[in-house]
Amino acid sequence: MTENTKIAIKIDHVSKLFHRQKQRTFKELIPALIGGEKAVETFWALQDINLEIKKGETLGIIGPNGSGKSTLLKLIAGVSKPTKGSITVNGRVAPLIELGAGFHPELTGRENVFLNGVILGMSRKEIKAKFQEIVDFAELWDFIDQPVKHYSSGMYLRLAFAVAIHTEPEILLVDEILAVGDASFQEKCFKKIEELKNNGVTIVMVSHSMPSVQKYCQRVAYINFSNLVAIGDTKEVCAKYQADIMNK
Amino acid sequence: MKRMPMLDSFTKYRELLNELTMREIKQRYKQSVLGYAWVILNPFFQMIVMSFVFSIIMRIPNLGVPYPIYLYAGLLPWTLFSNSLTSAANALVGNAGLITKIYFPREIFVISTILAKIVDFVLALSIFVVFMIFYHIPITWYILWVIPIFAIQQLFTYGLSLFLAAANLFYRDIQYLLSLIILIWMYLTPVIYSTELFPAKYRWIFQINPMSVIINAYRQVILAGDMPNLRSLAIALVLSVLLLIGGYKFFKKLEGVFADVV
Repeated sequence: MTENTKIAIKIDHVSKLFHRQKQRTFKELIPALIGGEKAVETFWALQDINLEIKKGETLGIIGPNGSGKSTLLKLIAGVSKPTKGSITVNGRVAPLIELGAGFHPELTGRENVFLNGVILGMSRKEIKAKFQEIVDFAELWDFIDQPVKHYSSGMYLRLAFAVAIHTEPEILLVDEILAVGDASFQEKCFKKIEELKNNGVTIVMVSHSMPSVQKYCQRVAYINFSNLVAIGDTKEVCAKYQADIMNK
Repeated sequence: MKRMPMLDSFTKYRELLNELTMREIKQRYKQSVLGYAWVILNPFFQMIVMSFVFSIIMRIPNLGVPYPIYLYAGLLPWTLFSNSLTSAANALVGNAGLITKIYFPREIFVISTILAKIVDFVLALSIFVVFMIFYHIPITWYILWVIPIFAIQQLFTYGLSLFLAAANLFYRDIQYLLSLIILIWMYLTPVIYSTELFPAKYRWIFQINPMSVIINAYRQVILAGDMPNLRSLAIALVLSVLLLIGGYKFFKKLEGVFADVV
């Protein structure tokens, strides 16, 4: 194996500049322009991040709110482009960020499974083959032909999670979603993630929960004020983060 | 063969495009009692009301064919055009949840919403066919010209839609401004009147307005059973292609920051 094939994600001197547009309407923009106000305000959400994630590795990303964790995840998912530097991703990425974004309330569970599955990069044929497995996982046998607007929020999330987890991702991006459903369903999700992990899936997990980071991650990256503060052994980095919180 | 990323939406992402188009179509008929009937009823009643106003009250002179069908031949493609633009302007804003979540070419949102409007148009066409039969309008081989004319209309619509969808993400005023522009644009296009009724010295406006060329061409090939004005059509085609290239470049240039601003 060459060096290249062992790396799932290579983040090379990545910086992200955000343009915060203050005026969203002409009514706001025109007086601002006349008044000589700047139309956009900029700030660096990430600065010079270097990170290599190996295939099959589970990496945790921790840090306070607004530190740039989710931005980094968006860059890996490819929805946002880095201002400087480059990101190389080898493999199919399935994001578990804000689950169910592709669901439409008027459509039935069945229709939404196909819609979301295709959005996540599966073909209709693959979804058909996995359909029963998805419904079984979500435990929604009696409701699958109901419009999802009649679902409880727990049912909704269960179905969304079931679709995302069955896309056979090579790289799974997890953003604080492990609060899905009740305790028994959570247990099932963790088991499934564990299973994917054992199958060699690369997992990048953003979390505020130290116990789950410590339980799953081999390595942890700690981001604060847009910078990568520390990367390395889970215990050490988590300890450093907790010490920083205490000292604040 | 040279790779054409502009066509990826129709090849590599065909299934996704399909699903998103179906979502647009399904959500409509599920939300209302009459569902898809509205797609046919809306332009139909609009045509009835306008026919009454313009042929009975305003008394538009004889245009060679009965006014209702003359109007309908222009109103249907115009409605397709204006509905496409309006929904395309919201195509990105309305899918904010997906844009911040997962990557695929963003123009798929724009294309799927236009495709859904084309389905509406085809359904609304059924009443037009009934009118054609009712008024005994003879059908000639020239009617096949409808296909290239329709293609030019779609190129023009798509190019303009790409500009609107991206711009509306940055300034939400675009969608309100758009409804005003569409209203003015309709009166500057021979939809409810014919080119001949327009003052001759201002007719150059129609030359640079692809929608007027397109609507005139439809009427020429369907109602008059004659050749369309090829010179005007060629200008419209060139304008549409240029607009599409510009729109696509503009859209793709901004695509990287869509997820940041939405």
